[in-house]
Amino acid sequence: MEKSSRIKGAESVLNLEPNSSIAIGYHGLFGSHDDTMLLEIDEKLLPDILHQRVTLRGQPDEDSVLCTRSKTYAIKFVGTSNSPLLIPPSGQFALCESSQDFDGGVHDFAPVIKVAHGNMELVEVAPKLDKLKLLLSENPYSYEDVLEMDFMEDVEKNKARLYNWDDLVERVQASDEELRSGLRALSAVEIDGFWRIVDEKYMDMILRMLLHNSVLNDWSLDALNEDDVVSVLVSDGFPDKLAYHCLHVYGSKVDGDVGRSCVWKLDERRVCVHFARQILSTEKKKMETFMAEWLQRIPGGMQASFDMLEGEVLMEKLGIETWVYAFSVSSLPLTPAERFNMLFRERSKWEWKDLQPYLRDLNVPGLSSEGLLLKYTRRAQPTSEAEPVFSSR
Amino acid sequence: MQIRVKCSCGAEKCPEWAVVELQGTVELNASFQTHLQNLQIGQLCRLSSTSQESYTFTVGYHELTGSKVTLKKPLLVLKKVKGFMDVDQNDDNNKKDDLPSSKVELDVIGIIRHKILFKTRPKALISKPQPLVKERTRAAVHTVPN
Repeated sequence: MEKSSRIKGAESVLNLEPNSSIAIGYHGLFGSHDDTMLLEIDEKLLPDILHQRVTLRGQPDEDSVLCTRSKTYAIKFVGTSNSPLLIPPSGQFALCESSQDFDGGVHDFAPVIKVAHGNMELVEVAPKLDKLKLLLSENPYSYEDVLEMDFMEDVEKNKARLYNWDDLVERVQASDEELRSGLRALSAVEIDGFWRIVDEKYMDMILRMLLHNSVLNDWSLDALNEDDVVSVLVSDGFPDKLAYHCLHVYGSKVDGDVGRSCVWKLDERRVCVHFARQILSTEKKKMETFMAEWLQRIPGGMQASFDMLEGEVLMEKLGIETWVYAFSVSSLPLTPAERFNMLFRERSKWEWKDLQPYLRDLNVPGLSSEGLLLKYTRRAQPTSEAEPVFSSR
Repeated sequence: MQIRVKCSCGAEKCPEWAVVELQGTVELNASFQTHLQNLQIGQLCRLSSTSQESYTFTVGYHELTGSKVTLKKPLLVLKKVKGFMDVDQNDDNNKKDDLPSSKVELDVIGIIRHKILFKTRPKALISKPQPLVKERTRAAVHTVPN
């Protein structure tokens, strides 16, 4: 009869043979082990975690999120009133092998290292990209930045308010992919290693200069030669990075090269929307006045139509006159509660055709657009034929 | 700040941990509270009879009956390494240390796929009536050292 026990581990418990037994007891290092925790994860996330592609992100005052390469998950702690006794595999916790004696010829002994009174769970959430917008809006790239290029000390001074990729990863709770697409959605550009959004007035200057040059040089807006455009804009005093950025924001690459240079086509809708926003940037206008100004501003060869402005401009009737004013979806928060709050502050009642453009970019994991409407709006339909009207809950 | 989740055990060789889950709590005899290291809680026994994997866990004069269950979703055992910083319980007391703690990482040290679950109330192994406790809703399991 053996007097001392043989220390085993998890494997002896999991692979216990039928008709055999093992003693369960406290590990020599048993304790609360607050630094050891359990995280419940979906099997499909396992490869990401085991291949070290996962990080926790958040500032000390935020609830941490877990980010894979493409998704963001909130972390919730779930407690249990049961006592799950955790038994590590043998050899994982260094232990002096001198074990106590047990009566009755105890054989194998599996030690419990801690009692886990709960575990963390993951819930997929939308990335917190409003903060990205907030950070980048602190210091948009503008004409002053171009002037300051000669005064390095000023640039140095300003760097406190600039963010490079790593800074953004530290501050924004989003996965790398979501952060990248968030930067794209904001039309942000990396300048001297820092991610910036470009002041709209400055973008307006470059775009108008580009259009001006295309008239002077008789370029087609459907086939702009990248090298030509960039070199002309640079000679007009714009940094080349911004010249490229202008093509990215208002155009798209077309297949087929002219020599080795890329060819770009300006996007009719994006260019037209830009000018509409410029016209309405300071005040609302009568519909006729706005349309006249708009049609006059847009470059030749492009066709503007009012449909382009959904999600950018709202109409209101004052007496017999129709007025239009800027109300851009891009200026609204991305969290649904705040988004609906802003929408209903703007208008207490929305028809679906007006509301839809302000909701379609909302992405809430686990909630469809119908679900969003049910959660945040009250739907009224006076008669079965009438258009439904949405108001605040 | 960013806390990397690493896996030092290497992708496919993550060691499996075992869990014996009891309903209620294990209550220690007061004299053992200070030195419970290596103290035996009970005897886990796998029965052979049925096709189901059924187990008993004998704690003192009580016997629990349970079974081995496969978790719907696995649990990872994470261990915080280097520095100190709470990852999910960011209560007020964390705000004072503004400096982002140098480099905290979470190491995956194990994975749990199964647990041996005892969700029934303990059955007394001796016929003598228990003098002390009337069972409450949460069955308490007493460790009775031999």
